[in-house]
Amino acid sequence: MHKQGFWGYIFTLPFLINIVVFIAFPVGFSAYISFARWDLFNSPEWVGLQNWIRVVEGREFWIGMRNVGVFALIFVPAQTLLAFGVAFLLNQAIRGKAMWRLFYFLPVITPWLAGGVVWYWMFNYRYGVLNWLLSSAGLTSIRWVDSPHWLVVVASIAMVNVWKGMGQSMIILLAGMQNVPKEVLESSQIDGATGWKQLTKIVFPIVTPMVFLVMILSTIAAFHAFDVFLALFGSISAGIPERNVVPNLIIYRDAFLLFKMGPASAAAWLLFVIILVITLFQKYFEKRWVHYD
Amino acid sequence: MTKATPPWTKALMYLLVLAGAVVMMFPFIWMLSTSFKTLGAVSQMPPQLIPNPFRFDNYAEVWNKVDFGRYTFNSFFIVVFDMAGSLLSCAFVAFGLAMYKFKLRGLVYAFMLGTLLIPGQITMIPTYFIWKQFHALNTYVPLIAPSFFAGAFGIFLLHQYIKSLPKELYESAVIDGCSPPGIFFKIYLPLCKPALAALGIFTFMGAWNNTLGPLIYLQDRKMYTLPLGLMYLKNESSINQAVIMAGAVITTLPVVLVYLLAQKQFVQGIASTGLKG
Repeated sequence: MHKQGFWGYIFTLPFLINIVVFIAFPVGFSAYISFARWDLFNSPEWVGLQNWIRVVEGREFWIGMRNVGVFALIFVPAQTLLAFGVAFLLNQAIRGKAMWRLFYFLPVITPWLAGGVVWYWMFNYRYGVLNWLLSSAGLTSIRWVDSPHWLVVVASIAMVNVWKGMGQSMIILLAGMQNVPKEVLESSQIDGATGWKQLTKIVFPIVTPMVFLVMILSTIAAFHAFDVFLALFGSISAGIPERNVVPNLIIYRDAFLLFKMGPASAAAWLLFVIILVITLFQKYFEKRWVHYD
Repeated sequence: MTKATPPWTKALMYLLVLAGAVVMMFPFIWMLSTSFKTLGAVSQMPPQLIPNPFRFDNYAEVWNKVDFGRYTFNSFFIVVFDMAGSLLSCAFVAFGLAMYKFKLRGLVYAFMLGTLLIPGQITMIPTYFIWKQFHALNTYVPLIAPSFFAGAFGIFLLHQYIKSLPKELYESAVIDGCSPPGIFFKIYLPLCKPALAALGIFTFMGAWNNTLGPLIYLQDRKMYTLPLGLMYLKNESSINQAVIMAGAVITTLPVVLVYLLAQKQFVQGIASTGLKG
């Protein structure tokens, strides 16, 4: 046998470098920078809690959190419910499964900006196809992402996100549903269980771990939303309207447009901590309703 | 369930699946349709689904005048290097983790899973600083080099796969006098093809669709990738919607083709890991 230790380190060397250079150093440095004033060019200057206080006491970060929070409250249940419904349908004896799956999955692999520019055009108030559909149905046009009603803006963004992300949740749920033993379904049918009963009493309990996974993943995705705002609201200039601001946009703007590395780092850490707390809370909640064998 | 399903339930099922699929596909149909429209037809009410006249020039315009030919090349350039780097390095590290017992193995494995939790926003600024110190800003190095240092997701995927191969392979190669690098390159790397295919597609999608990385690192417009090119087009008010849509089609088409070629590996990868590249 070869020298275990020697070859072990030789083979893992690329990742060891990765850990040191691209993970350990950046994490430590970013923590330090969150307590410093730094413009990327001159040397950093320690300022204590100043950046953190500025982010925590300022309005903008919390408006961003509220925006993204409301967005998650609309997006996560909508996406989970629709993905569950589609997965359930595609798990039935239906022809052309691969084709249907492809149709639902295509948005997932589409580059965000490509999807974004199409939706942006479909949302157009005067020439957009969505308003044309509404008006042909005798309804009034909507301003969608330009709406004066903030909830309409958030709901429009959620709609684009559901389109983009639903396929991925559906695949995970579908994989879970395929674990439901066929015999169980068949015997339940002999016992007189209807489709609805099967769904609520057999399929749903068995896939709850996947439902939970899908909800955690989409919650994290919601709080990290960035590309959709870039695609729908255009260029990120130094001034982002307050109602469209999300934490990741603030971090990007502060760091790479304003070169305020300190506040950007503090905001990045704060966002990370908040997402961690939400995930842990969901994890705690999980024990109460997720069914494991 | 098949036999007992009443026909009206079946019909309803198909109707629902079809309606959903139409909604999901509609933005693609609209993108394609608009990309063939003339300037006048773009804002015509009621909108036309099949453009008349049918105009191909939008593609020529976006490809030549707005440099999408170049952006496409740039995107492919980055993707090819990213794929080569990530496939090779992830398999290399995964092989080491799976085959050799060494002191820090447990720790390295724990780190691998741990790094998946660290969001990019935290490491973004220091990483930018590293590349600035190396004078690598406005080059493709920051977008390519990290992939040669084995990402956690790829290691995880390949580690699981290598673990499932029989250990006797390694032992018999040792008896034949093969060195560890030889065993890796000649025996294990070729055997990992299915797992490498899955990782390759994830890497392709991730690199092709990446917006934030190029946005931060690339300033020179000639160096833009397709997503940045699209962002530029969208913000340029003088550019016709049909031309923008032609750009969107060019940006989307390669990923769709790659996906169609390797659907199976991709879907299995997502289903088994719950993650996207």
